Amino acid sequence: MKVETTRIPKKYEDAVGHWVKHNFQDLPLLEKYWDKYFPSDDAYCLCAKLDLSTSQTQEVGDHKGEPKAEDPSQLTEEAAKHLLAIIRAQASTEFGSIQQHQVTLERSPSDQDKFWVLRVMAEELRHGYQMFHMLTSRNWEPLAGVKTEDMVEDVLAMETGSHVLEAFNLPYDSFVDNVVFSGIIDRVGKYQLTMQKVCAYRPFAQSMPPMLREEAFHLATGVVPMRRWLEAAAQGDAFITPEQIQKSLNKWVPRGLEMFGDERGGDTNVKLGFKDMKNRDAQSKYFDEVAKLLHDLNLRFLRARYVSKSPEDIEKMLATLLRERSTVEGTRYDEILKMPHRNFFRRRGEPSFLMVSVEGDPIADVEDYIRHLAQVLPAAYLASRDMAQYRDLVRKVASGEVTREDAAKKSPMMKRKADSVCPCAKGVRWVDTDGGAEKLPQIATNEGTTGAPTFHCP
Amino acid sequence: MAVEAPEITIRPLADVDIDAITRIDEKVTGIYRPDFWENRVAYYLRRDPEASRVAEQGGRVVGFMLADLRGGEFGLEETSGWIERFGVDPEARGKGIGRKLFDALAEHFKAAGANTLRTFVDTRQKETATFLEAVGFGPSALTALEQKL
Repeated sequence: MKVETTRIPKKYEDAVGHWVKHNFQDLPLLEKYWDKYFPSDDAYCLCAKLDLSTSQTQEVGDHKGEPKAEDPSQLTEEAAKHLLAIIRAQASTEFGSIQQHQVTLERSPSDQDKFWVLRVMAEELRHGYQMFHMLTSRNWEPLAGVKTEDMVEDVLAMETGSHVLEAFNLPYDSFVDNVVFSGIIDRVGKYQLTMQKVCAYRPFAQSMPPMLREEAFHLATGVVPMRRWLEAAAQGDAFITPEQIQKSLNKWVPRGLEMFGDERGGDTNVKLGFKDMKNRDAQSKYFDEVAKLLHDLNLRFLRARYVSKSPEDIEKMLATLLRERSTVEGTRYDEILKMPHRNFFRRRGEPSFLMVSVEGDPIADVEDYIRHLAQVLPAAYLASRDMAQYRDLVRKVASGEVTREDAAKKSPMMKRKADSVCPCAKGVRWVDTDGGAEKLPQIATNEGTTGAPTFHCP
Repeated sequence: MAVEAPEITIRPLADVDIDAITRIDEKVTGIYRPDFWENRVAYYLRRDPEASRVAEQGGRVVGFMLADLRGGEFGLEETSGWIERFGVDPEARGKGIGRKLFDALAEHFKAAGANTLRTFVDTRQKETATFLEAVGFGPSALTALEQKL
């Protein structure tokens, strides 16, 4: 991988810096303690990174074998708009996850957990910055019909509740969500970035390998604490239990599955050469990977509880627990993590608004279904506006007042601020449209910019 | 009719490999140490997931090699590829898995600009020493020293 680093024009960098002050207050803490928690790692760099070794030829789609586009002007209007929607969604996830993580970050049970998540947040910020590089380094305006400033503004104005994908509209209930989100939702990110490595728009394809490299640690930030918590729970710790982790999984896995888009879709992405897999195929691979992860977590739990048993006996015991759904040698079925059924608690896609249990059993009565949700989702999440809206909608679907298809189109919107988003009240926008036309050099320098985060590549 | 063994594929390290690596180590050493491998895998993932590789056969991890690119240690300013840990499932040995892992890493480090690969070996571990020699490692001017306290 031959990587070039670059920065975005000053006025956009200033806007990101301003956004950080309001949404990511702990970033300076990471800078202060970087060497303590990540000794010998390269310094964090808030910059765009491009892998120059990326293929110059389209790898999939109708124009496979033809040169990739280097500029939006080489795309059709349809393709440009489609790609802009992907970039917007990607940018939304990056900034959105920081907003989610920040709220419960301070509740982390250990400093290591906290600084691992902080690093994840900082790298998500870099990924958001990367998407702004996509928007600001080339002129999309003739094709998109929207000014560059407004595209950046649109993303920075989003808050938890108004992001593009629902997984980024759910507030965290506790630090368990910080961890489970990293292990489950960031994993979808890995799949999306991997699919987009082939993108027919080369600057976007070039952005993926450096992002993927960072994403690998994000998944460990979820998986390692879950493994440690389960080990502690197996040995009697009653604070973070498998039941709590399971409830958080029940909250996030359905949203993760929906992040791939409707199971029946994805053809356009492949046809245009933007991704190399359709939605259903990618979602299936993801589902299998999460199932394997839960299998390994269960083994970790059981081996910590029965230290004298052989690995083979532990495998057999786990199989018995899952098959018989009953207590085996003192371990209860509900202490074992289970993959939520693909159709459980879905609001989008093929199974949207079907009433099935977390194990996939159909539930005929809507009130029984709501009571089931109350049993298997985190208590704090049940008392949310998101759940209140879902409950009302599923009742309407059950009574025939709303079809499943129409219900799926009603995305819960807890907040939507169209304007005046900066809490400073000095201005109504993050992006300053009056000044800051000066451009930074294309190669990153040490020069700081007013209001911008301080981390930059040397 | 002979059944063809599934192909061995080499891919970058991932978080979901922790259990398989722990299990291979347990088969080799007889010691179950998940905490150790959680730390090491997390370390190598945050350094560079592509600088560490696992070998898969039939969807099962059968070998691993953990490494990273670094410089500035032991007075060595030159950035080198450092191989720290590797292992092959005893049931999957004899299929060139170690060599495949090593070749993938060597190619990665070369592309990243390194001119040298480095590692330490306990010469009492004959099998490891033989493998390292077979893939091209030789004595270095840098000698490991120790003093009992």
